[in-house]
Amino acid sequence: MRYLMLVLDTPDDPGDTEATTPIEKWAEKVYGSGAGIVGDRLRPQEDSVGVRVRRGEVLVTDGPFTETKESIAGFDVIEAADLDDAVRIASEHPMAFGGAIELRPFWTLGLDKHDDKNDDKNDKD
Amino acid sequence: MPDAAGPAVGRAVEDAFREEWGRVLAAVARSTGDLDLAEDVTSEAFATALRTWARDGIPERPGAWLTTTARRHATDRLRRRVVERDKTAASARLAERVEASPAAEADPAADPVGEAVTDALTEAWSAESADEDLLALVFACCHPALPLEGRVALTLRSLTGMTTAQVARAFLVPEATMAQRLVRVKKRIRTTGISFRVPPPQLRRERVSAVLAVLYVLFTEGYDAWAEPAGNRDGTTDGTAEARRRLADDAVRLARLVARLLPDEPEAQGLLALVLLQHARRDARVGPDGVVRTLGEQDRSLWRRPEIDEGIAVLDHVLAGRRPGPYQVQAAIAALHSDPPSPSETDWVEILGLYDVLVDMTGSPVVRLNRAVALAEVAGPEAALAAVDAIDDTTPGDRRSAAGGGGSLGEYHLLPAVRADLLRRLGRTDEAAREYRRALEIVDREGDRTLLERRLADLA
Repeated sequence: MRYLMLVLDTPDDPGDTEATTPIEKWAEKVYGSGAGIVGDRLRPQEDSVGVRVRRGEVLVTDGPFTETKESIAGFDVIEAADLDDAVRIASEHPMAFGGAIELRPFWTLGLDKHDDKNDDKNDKD
Repeated sequence: MPDAAGPAVGRAVEDAFREEWGRVLAAVARSTGDLDLAEDVTSEAFATALRTWARDGIPERPGAWLTTTARRHATDRLRRRVVERDKTAASARLAERVEASPAAEADPAADPVGEAVTDALTEAWSAESADEDLLALVFACCHPALPLEGRVALTLRSLTGMTTAQVARAFLVPEATMAQRLVRVKKRIRTTGISFRVPPPQLRRERVSAVLAVLYVLFTEGYDAWAEPAGNRDGTTDGTAEARRRLADDAVRLARLVARLLPDEPEAQGLLALVLLQHARRDARVGPDGVVRTLGEQDRSLWRRPEIDEGIAVLDHVLAGRRPGPYQVQAAIAALHSDPPSPSETDWVEILGLYDVLVDMTGSPVVRLNRAVALAEVAGPEAALAAVDAIDDTTPGDRRSAAGGGGSLGEYHLLPAVRADLLRRLGRTDEAAREYRRALEIVDREGDRTLLERRLADLA
């Protein structure tokens, strides 16, 4: 089962940043084990660019879209055996201590036509 | 065994239903990962039992028989599903994925159900694997990623085999509402990827707490019904109260099961002791006049002594392990209340000490309120009142921690009710009356309302 891990900055709930493993260690473990597919840190929200099409016109906007304090600092796509496995991986991420991780299960439409056998079983609704 | 026909078979199936529903469901759920399918084939297996046991006799191990039968039904259904999907999917595939590679078009008939699932469905039945399956089902139903209401309903439905209508009745909601709640929670199990597996060791502690919390909510739901009159105000009964009260029996049974499945979790034993000790007092909670009795007012001859003894035995055993937790401490408090033959012999100093421990563990304002009640017995109403007021002052700060520890006092009628009792004991009648009225504004249980009304009337 595939999950997107949204790594969130939560300035309103800073948590404790002590007792965390460095991100390099985490990445080494998760990507080394094959659970990690792709991931990176993202440039801050002020560097984001919005794209939308309205009445046939492409509208490009600069800066953040919403004034929320929480922001996405990074992401990882992981392949986990199940939710508990994903929770385990997420709970070891250093930002789970200082920020928060949001796990979003993939719908797995398979539009990119990658031939991962597991994907087929994931969603049957 | 042709003599097993008729009522004996009906009874055997009924017994098996009570004992084995959860196990059979758990075995299929774990092999297939599909709870809906598991529910369907478990019902089907019981229907099959009713037919064939009358003809062939009652099997020696009903649980094994039912599990094997349910698994066979599951295999049949999965095969049928694949055939049907092929029929409809074939045309869809032709239209949508003409350019897909031949590898992606592999013939599904070659492995119709999936090897892993087939293997799991043909696995031999054993008592150990049945327990393992059951534990996995309990953890899945109580997964903290599910909404609490859904967890409670699903746990009840999955582990006791209660129908949706019965669960709805017990929780006082329309059947359609409950059906929707169950559909949603099962869908969330699928979409979030919750599997029927015992959680990994790193997550075990939190997940055990989540299971125990669900069981205690279930118990409280049923035990609360014992603090309400069994019938309506006009003396009629419609069976709703009994249905709700039975939840407490189910919760005790499930607590016993979980305590057996998790022998190394002291809090699981603590919860069992706690619910046994509380449940033992059920018959004394409401007097013949329909008014709630406080612990001190209860007729102790109505307490079920064997259940108290069992609760104390479970508690003593787990306390000897010296790994305390909130359920064990609460059980210890309940034991101190249950032990003395009369309320005047209650060891309030010991109880107060245990509440101090519990406050440290949970930080819950509800616990602090209960501590204040114990303090009144040790240090008098004046000191207790100061302690209650101190809770009030710090409530905003406590609310945040209460999110994990449970309980905020915002709309809790016991806060003004306790204050009123203390003011009454101090002879401050006018203030006491004001607090009773405040409590009456927010109380929601009929039995509690009557108690408050009587106390208010006694003031005059």
